[in-house]
Amino acid sequence: MKRLLLVFVALFFLLSGCAAREDQMAGHSAEMEGMTEGHGHGDVKVTKHFDESLTKLTDNNLYSLELVIPDEHLKMGVNTVEIIVHHSTGGDVAQADVTVTPWMPSMGHGVMEKPVVMERGGGLYSVENVVLSMTGHWQLQVKVAKDDKTDEAVFDFPEIKAMGHEHAMMHAPPPKDLDYATEKMTVNDIFKVSYKSTGGLIRINRIHSWELTIRDADGQPVNNAKVTVVGDMPEHGHGLPTQPEVFNMGVGGFYRIDGMKFQMPGWWVVTINVMADGVHDAVSFNLDVL
Amino acid sequence: MKKRIWRFIGAATAAGLLLSFMNMMNPDSARSMDQHTWTDREKLVLRSLWLGSLDPLPVDPSNKYSDNPRAAALGKKLFFEDKFSGNQKVSCATCHREDYFFTDNLPQSHGMDITPRRSMPLIGVAYNSWFFWDGRTDSLWSQALGPIENKLEHGISRTMSAYIIGKYYRREYEEVFGALPDFMEDTFPQHARPALDDPEALKAWILMTPEQRAEVNRVYVNMGKAIGAFVRTILPEPSPFDIYVEQIVSGKPLKSRMALTDNEARGLRLFIGKAKCTNCHNGPLFTNGDFHNLGVPPKDEKKPDKGRAAAITQVLSSEFNCFGKYSDARSEQCLQLRFIETSEEKYTGAFKTPTLRNVTERPPYMHAGQFATVREVLEFYRSKAQNPELGHDKLTDEELDQLEAFLHALSSPLKSLQTDEK
Ligand code: HEC
Ligand code: HEC
Repeated sequence: MKRLLLVFVALFFLLSGCAAREDQMAGHSAEMEGMTEGHGHGDVKVTKHFDESLTKLTDNNLYSLELVIPDEHLKMGVNTVEIIVHHSTGGDVAQADVTVTPWMPSMGHGVMEKPVVMERGGGLYSVENVVLSMTGHWQLQVKVAKDDKTDEAVFDFPEIKAMGHEHAMMHAPPPKDLDYATEKMTVNDIFKVSYKSTGGLIRINRIHSWELTIRDADGQPVNNAKVTVVGDMPEHGHGLPTQPEVFNMGVGGFYRIDGMKFQMPGWWVVTINVMADGVHDAVSFNLDVL
Repeated sequence: MKKRIWRFIGAATAAGLLLSFMNMMNPDSARSMDQHTWTDREKLVLRSLWLGSLDPLPVDPSNKYSDNPRAAALGKKLFFEDKFSGNQKVSCATCHREDYFFTDNLPQSHGMDITPRRSMPLIGVAYNSWFFWDGRTDSLWSQALGPIENKLEHGISRTMSAYIIGKYYRREYEEVFGALPDFMEDTFPQHARPALDDPEALKAWILMTPEQRAEVNRVYVNMGKAIGAFVRTILPEPSPFDIYVEQIVSGKPLKSRMALTDNEARGLRLFIGKAKCTNCHNGPLFTNGDFHNLGVPPKDEKKPDKGRAAAITQVLSSEFNCFGKYSDARSEQCLQLRFIETSEEKYTGAFKTPTLRNVTERPPYMHAGQFATVREVLEFYRSKAQNPELGHDKLTDEELDQLEAFLHALSSPLKSLQTDEK
């Protein structure tokens, strides 16, 4: 339902351009470009169309970005956001190359899942598949490139929570073409991690173990890593029913995770955090538990 | 003659046309043709719910007598024994009635008094990792020890239990567990237990010697292990749903003789699909054994039941848990306890997903009997669509009918316990 609404809103933009937002603006008949916030820099101004949006100037003051979160809050799991790109001098920026990267500053890692950006017209870009793989401090780095001019801004979310029931929203099913690979590079290409369930096929409601292999980018086993595991169901904001433990086997880059258990069928994301020689990186595996 | 034939053909074509027209008008009857067609993935899900997929009984490493038939035979007698109660009238079977799928028909059970929660069906219970609505014990034997000393249930003590065993079940007990301790011949406090809610009994317990206390605990635990060995043998029988799955996976379903009606099959399709019931009611016992807060209205608004959240420390600190000295397991075998999720926040107001086998035969429902009928349960689910763990789309009245019809197909008679009498 919500999505349908979004599509309508987007269509509206498409047909009528940025200025035609009377529906949203009912009650504030003020001309929208005038709704700048206090922190303009000379000619530079922040444009704000939506009451509930977050705004940011890009680092070099080229653009003013407006971030709209349709579900009100970002949460652990899969999110959709909308970004409106304005020139810092006013006016919408169409046909820009917009990239969005979720980032966890304290962990120094992001996620494997790449957000999908689609231009809707009138400077509006919708961003789907924004995956935040755990609770905690996250940032969304937004980069805008147009005509050789690139600039970026970081939106900060100090406390991303697992979704509480009261704020619960229905969720999109897992994105199509999910990557179910069991061997992946970590987000920053530092480690190559692979996993295997020791009992073969992973069965629901069963405590079982995983064998992990961690190598560096050159394929050399990493034997001294500190490894932690987080499992999550993005659609429900629901974690594992257990607290798994990781054992370092000390050779061959082998580690064993005991106490894995999945109690609901469907799409799970298991994130492995690896810290070795002061370098921290992480990788998320998608699983389809039946 | 000819005319007659023509008229006949005319009538037949008209009827045929009418029929196909009706089919067009009524999409349901057209759909009923493929109500029993399932995709490969759906077949996998059906198979996972099928009783035939039930694993052999899981080994209970904490109870080395759990598969001992003599222990189970003793346990069965103890299960039905009224003497183990303050008023000589309550046995496990009072609240776990054989004629009621081993639960009772009350919103809250009546033993010595009224319990805060509803009784639970014991069919297939041995497949659980945690016992009670909140999972406050981690084995069937330690579970069985709870009701005995609970004032609202059997309302006696461990010393009294040991006394009754010595007096009425000495031979059977000693055959399995070895000699009862000597001191049992002598007088010892009949009502002694380490309980804070009963200062008299606590005082009597403390005054016993440590050796005596250990001996009484040993008898008490063995009694639990015998009862646990019996409760393990209560298992489900195939239902129409299970026969249906066999028909479907065998690949030669006979359209005219399907074990589920079209309506029940529609309910099944909803159950594993749109209504997302298998998020939690999965596996051959229709439960994931985990704890969820569905938002069922609490029985007592002022003192809402915290459910699983309050049970985590209880099970971790119980002297009768899998790590404890009365357990027969090595600690690394205690998987559930080792990897227990300890977040109270996550489990506040959460209760164990109950099995749905025979569910329509044993009202009322939910952890404190909040709902009197399956229909009320389904209406409740419909109203809670915004809970992300449920996350189902809007359900129509017709769809609730279909789900209800399907739940009826999960019933099967219980195998009589008398048949395996030794
Ligand atoms: C007064 C009624 C009453 C008596 C007597 C009673 N029970 Fe129960 N039983 C209950 C209730 C109520 C629950 C759920 C309690 C809770 O969650 O706090 C329960 C739960 C259980 C469970 C847990 C099932 C599950 O799925 O987790 C088992 C097993 C069980 N009882 C076995 C027994 C045995 C064995 C005895 C005799 C030693 C016994 N009960 C005596 C009422 C009773
Ligand atoms: C998020 C997990 C979850 C989902 C999804 C779920 N259930 Fe439940 N179900 C439970 C739990 C937990 C209880 C017990 C709740 C309580 O007592 O507080 C329960 C109780 C029930 C009961 C009552 C059984 C009894 O013995 O009291 C029925 C019937 C039932 N569910 C049917 C369904 C149906 C039908 C669906 C799909 C529409 C469904 N459930 C979806 C977890 C779930």
